[in-house]
Amino acid sequence: MIEILSSTLRLATPLIFAAMGGFLCERSGIATICLEGVLLTSAWAGATVTYYTNPYLGVLAAIIVGAMTMALHALLTVKAKADQIISGVAVNLFAAGITPILTKLLFGSSTNTESIPLHARLYSPVLTLLAFLLPFLIHFVTYRTGWGLRLLACGDGPEALKTSGVSPAKVRYWALSIAGAIIGFGGVYLSTAHASQFTRDMTAGRGFIALTALIFGKWRPLPAFIACLFFGFTDALQIQLQSSPLLGNTFPVQALQIFPYLITLLVLVGFIGSAKPPLAIGKVE
Amino acid sequence: MKPHFFKKYFAGPLIAVLISACLTTALLICLGENPSILWEAFTSTFFNGFGLGYTLYYTTPLIFTGLSVALCFHAGLFNIGAEGQLHLGAAGIIALSLFFPGLPWYFSIPLGVIASMLTGGLWGLIAGFLKAKRGSHEVIVTILLNFIGITFVNYLILYPFKNTQVQNPETLEIGQSYFLSPLSDFTAYLGSELFRTTPVNVTLFLSLFAALICYLFLFHTARGYEIRALGQNPSAARFNGISASTNTLLVFTLAGALSGLVGINEVMGFQHKLIEGFSPQYGFTGIAVALMARNHPLGVILAALLFGSIHNGAREIEFLSEKITKEISIVMEAILIIIIAGQGYFSSLVYRLFKRDCHD
Repeated sequence: MIEILSSTLRLATPLIFAAMGGFLCERSGIATICLEGVLLTSAWAGATVTYYTNPYLGVLAAIIVGAMTMALHALLTVKAKADQIISGVAVNLFAAGITPILTKLLFGSSTNTESIPLHARLYSPVLTLLAFLLPFLIHFVTYRTGWGLRLLACGDGPEALKTSGVSPAKVRYWALSIAGAIIGFGGVYLSTAHASQFTRDMTAGRGFIALTALIFGKWRPLPAFIACLFFGFTDALQIQLQSSPLLGNTFPVQALQIFPYLITLLVLVGFIGSAKPPLAIGKVE
Repeated sequence: MKPHFFKKYFAGPLIAVLISACLTTALLICLGENPSILWEAFTSTFFNGFGLGYTLYYTTPLIFTGLSVALCFHAGLFNIGAEGQLHLGAAGIIALSLFFPGLPWYFSIPLGVIASMLTGGLWGLIAGFLKAKRGSHEVIVTILLNFIGITFVNYLILYPFKNTQVQNPETLEIGQSYFLSPLSDFTAYLGSELFRTTPVNVTLFLSLFAALICYLFLFHTARGYEIRALGQNPSAARFNGISASTNTLLVFTLAGALSGLVGINEVMGFQHKLIEGFSPQYGFTGIAVALMARNHPLGVILAALLFGSIHNGAREIEFLSEKITKEISIVMEAILIIIIAGQGYFSSLVYRLFKRDCHD
């Protein structure tokens, strides 16, 4: 039981970072399906820089690369006025393609980077603690500060914001860059704390699970946080069942893997409450 | 051919291909690789029988998924769920064959096509239903349905349909009568070695036929007109009595059925079984194909050929180069999507550049 709980905390950590990043993006009015890609590039940068230098520079690199990847999405959607979903698909593809190429270039193998020894890795509870404080910080900033209210206004009615003399584009650039940096923590956690190296496609859909958690939480930070814990728990349970000698190979773990998506679908279509996205999302100005 | 035809359909995509070729060349130089291998790889994907065979084999599923995405775009809908739909379609064929392994070929092949379209179409219909009747955003719904569908198919591969004789996660083989002939059989009959040992099969003709049907449906039927009207101006369409919900249901079902046909190429045409993770993201590449084709069903054929050759060329690059892996194809795809999606902005940049030159 304790095993499952501690495993839940570990598995929920990257989800929380990604979901909180996703929260800032989506509430600024930019549909962001590229959480997966941002997690992937920052995980790669974190593992690579940690391997060559130390974990602190590794975290810094992950934050910077995460912010840069998200800035690409911002540039495409805000400046080039590209469709937000298409831009998200492009960023995801770019991340999935460039990380194995760079891994091959630096480490000679396209599947994984060199393993980082335990003593040179980040002490993971620090990041987990940070992840558990983050939703409350985001909640406070969003609902209690001027910047946060401007962010919400930007997501629901950018015209009104413009009328009051604030540039929605600027709000969105900031929101997305900060979101990228936050997701960077999730990435570096995956590749240096949760695992000891970067492996190809190591995010394995976590970016999408985080997006799902955000929708399940109806685009609010604290419910999304709870959803991340919940999905982390189902993931932990699934892993536990997979290795359990009692059930062996007979229990179809796919039933648990489907669960987060299925329950979110039910919420989304209004069978359990209703979930409405920010009003201005997906609209090209 | 109207004079603006070239400008409307070809100029943009051609410029995008040129720019992305330049960017990929620059990337290869940055990574310390001789960019000439790019040329070498891509000529080999067209100008020899073996390379061309594989290019056409990859082109076939991309035509289906490209059509699926393009059809939805015409109705103003975004089908990001082709990946899930094609998994369901492939599983449909396996299920049919396991229940009726010994059907004669004149039943098994048409039924196989129908089974893949039905199961894929059903998965599309769910997305259409949730969009039309519950008002949920189709992008989020199809992302969720992708995961649910792929995981469900993986479950089928690992449990009920599993071939317990082998270690690999794959299903039992389908009945002999379901096999489709590879094109190399025909060329061998004619005494040619074209396509020898490549998996390109008669599904290619089915995909070309599907593109033609889609073209006729969209541009030469009343229903196709309704769908396009709905995509161009939903409120005007509604005032003229065009039902948004009926057409949404129809378009998503058709899109799902088209994606489902990918299973024909994979299961009946080549592998004769379903292997976990068989699709190298054909569904997502379909989005790039539709964008590149400007959503024109016949353009989809050309765009799919381009992406098929990129996919095949990247395998060639991995073979030729010691530094670059086949993921270069995904990067090239991403670059192409970025350039096409932001074309308005990028071309205005170029325009301003030239205008300034004129004034100076």
